[in-house]
Amino acid sequence: MSDPILEIEHISKRYGDVTAVDDLSFNVPRGSVFGLLGPNGAGKSTTIRMIMRIIMTDEGRILLDGLPVDDDRRRLIGYLPEERGLYKKMKVLEHLVFLGTIRGLKPGESKKRSMAWLEKFNLGEWATHKVEDLSKGMQQKVQFIGTILHRPQLLILDEPFTGLDPINTRALKDLLMAMSKEGVTIVLSTHVLQQVDELCTHICLINRARAILDGRLEDIRTDYGGNVWRVSSDLDEQALGELPAVTNVHALGDEMLVELEPDSEPRELLQALAAHGGLESFTRFVPGLENIFIRVVEEDRSHD
Amino acid sequence: MISWTRIAAIIRREYLERVKTKAFWISTLLVPVFLGAVMIIPAWLASRGGGTFTVAVLDFTGRFAEPLRAELDDMLIRQTSTATEALDEAGIIPGEQAETMGEMVEESLLDLTLVPLDSSGDPEAARENAKSRVHSSEFDGLLVIPATLPDEGQAEYVAPNVSAFQMLSILERSVSNVMVADRLTSAGLDPEAVGELTRRVDLRTMKLGAKGQETHDQGQGFMLSYVFMMIIYMTVLMYGIYVMRGVLEEKSSHIVEVIISTVKPFELMLGKILGIGAVGLTQFLLWSIMMVAISAPGAAAAVGMGGLELPAVPAIQIVFFVVYFVLGFLLYGTLYAGIGAAFDTEQEAQNFQGAITMFLIVPLVLMMYILNQPDAPLSVALSLFPFFTPMLMFLRMTLTPVPAIQLAASVVIMGATILAATWIVGKIYRVGILMHGSKPKLKDLWRWIREA
Repeated sequence: MSDPILEIEHISKRYGDVTAVDDLSFNVPRGSVFGLLGPNGAGKSTTIRMIMRIIMTDEGRILLDGLPVDDDRRRLIGYLPEERGLYKKMKVLEHLVFLGTIRGLKPGESKKRSMAWLEKFNLGEWATHKVEDLSKGMQQKVQFIGTILHRPQLLILDEPFTGLDPINTRALKDLLMAMSKEGVTIVLSTHVLQQVDELCTHICLINRARAILDGRLEDIRTDYGGNVWRVSSDLDEQALGELPAVTNVHALGDEMLVELEPDSEPRELLQALAAHGGLESFTRFVPGLENIFIRVVEEDRSHD
Repeated sequence: MISWTRIAAIIRREYLERVKTKAFWISTLLVPVFLGAVMIIPAWLASRGGGTFTVAVLDFTGRFAEPLRAELDDMLIRQTSTATEALDEAGIIPGEQAETMGEMVEESLLDLTLVPLDSSGDPEAARENAKSRVHSSEFDGLLVIPATLPDEGQAEYVAPNVSAFQMLSILERSVSNVMVADRLTSAGLDPEAVGELTRRVDLRTMKLGAKGQETHDQGQGFMLSYVFMMIIYMTVLMYGIYVMRGVLEEKSSHIVEVIISTVKPFELMLGKILGIGAVGLTQFLLWSIMMVAISAPGAAAAVGMGGLELPAVPAIQIVFFVVYFVLGFLLYGTLYAGIGAAFDTEQEAQNFQGAITMFLIVPLVLMMYILNQPDAPLSVALSLFPFFTPMLMFLRMTLTPVPAIQLAASVVIMGATILAATWIVGKIYRVGILMHGSKPKLKDLWRWIREA
């Protein structure tokens, strides 16, 4: 967290009596794949729209590379809104050139890059066709090219996988992973947790206009997983329960979930297991994100 | 701060996308054809009003048939020369061509032949007999001149078709003239002398220009201002609606959020209006080129039109024609942009769109008043009302020398109104383009203006 590319500081947005975003703060570390999670209506899109200055914050501020986002600096961000579309009657290449120029590229440069991307996506022969002649999947690719044409160092994608078929979902994931490897920071909002599991290094969970969970995904998992270990050996429940520092044992199919005293090291347990012989596997138990998600949202609700 | 480089990118797209459409080129070609048709077809139809008629005459006075035939021949000849003169006078077609045109007109003019029938014997029987001959299509109609005509002034025309107005009016005037002459003679007066003494006045209208020069104007000035005013009306309406549709398209295709994440809503709105306005100016330019090409003597001969000489339009009127189109379009285009942003579909927008279009139509209704009294205080006031200025001030300019101060005032008032409209609509636009689903009421629009 030492070098955030994007800092959200105490932002709020109210519409009449409705509070869409309430004193929300989080940082997006440079180079991370940052998942903005939350149930529908939690305030994800409002937050993203405030980052993009499509709507203005009532309070708080948003920093990009340490400086407030303004109308020029927001163009450094590659933004794919949830509500997205293209001019149906425009030709594909001309459309991309247009999207490039409003993001500050020179027309010639915009054209060169657009063509290169179209070739890369096997859409080269469609360059002079009208957008409306393309299949939906192809239009989504064109849309994405338009988002990254100006080589943004920060990509903000609002529900990027909505409406994609499995093949295109896969293709987009691969592309995002590749861009992430090149150092591009990616913020994506989604409510499909499986994608977060696959892609994200960091998350922020928003519920009812506030952040209720925020940090490195690995740390969160560890925190919520507790000191629990997954053991496969020939010891039964009772035998395991008698080993040092063990507080609780669950059978989970052929395996056992062994919970240790919070601060104890797993080394002693491992040594004890090894001494008994018949140890097949010993791994940390990692709870599914879905479990954490539901648990945290339920807890948040019970605070009322 | 607004950025003109971003606006330029929007203008560029709007302009190129529209100029490249077939619709643009078709309307560029069709509008002059349409306007030409509006001016030429009525004249052509009028000249075609003629036709060939053979009318039987039952003259029970026994002395009208011959003078009537003479009078009618006289009137038909006069009709031809009047047509030629009128064409010449109107200045639309110069002298020599008017003559050839007159000959053409003559060919298509009314050809009316009278056939006197025997009126001796029983009047009823003669009438019935003549009627049956009309019935069998031997004659087109039957003119019955009763013996009581000089006293009662009543004659009869019996025919299957009684709506050949031009023929009927000539026939009526001929009978009337002959009868008046007959009455004068029987009163001991010389019909020719009386005709000379009672000749009506021919009011020759001279238009007094700003520099005191007189030009003979018999309606062609009005015709031209009418056409120019209609062009302002049509283009402002057409291009205004284009703006509205463009905004609606951006909303319904969901591209608007992609764009306003890099371009300010206000810049997008301005770019769209300016880009579409530039398309309108391009169309004017193309029309001017077409006009010049058509009125060039060589080209005209090639087209075989015999050269259509256009009345000279003062340069100041051309300048203000463009100025008022630009200002009118900016004002109405801005309002239409606001409507496009506030609604999701053209159907939903209909009421508001209609309200704004009314402002464009009212000047057409007020036109007659202005024509009659272009300098009346009410005319001045109406032409300074910014929503009417593009049409009414232009109309006044063609009718009367409008003081420069009024022209300047009209431009300043319109400019201020455009700025105010842009400021208000900009707020509606900013909120509206992101709204989907709910149809806003006037109350909501007011809230948007206040809160944005």
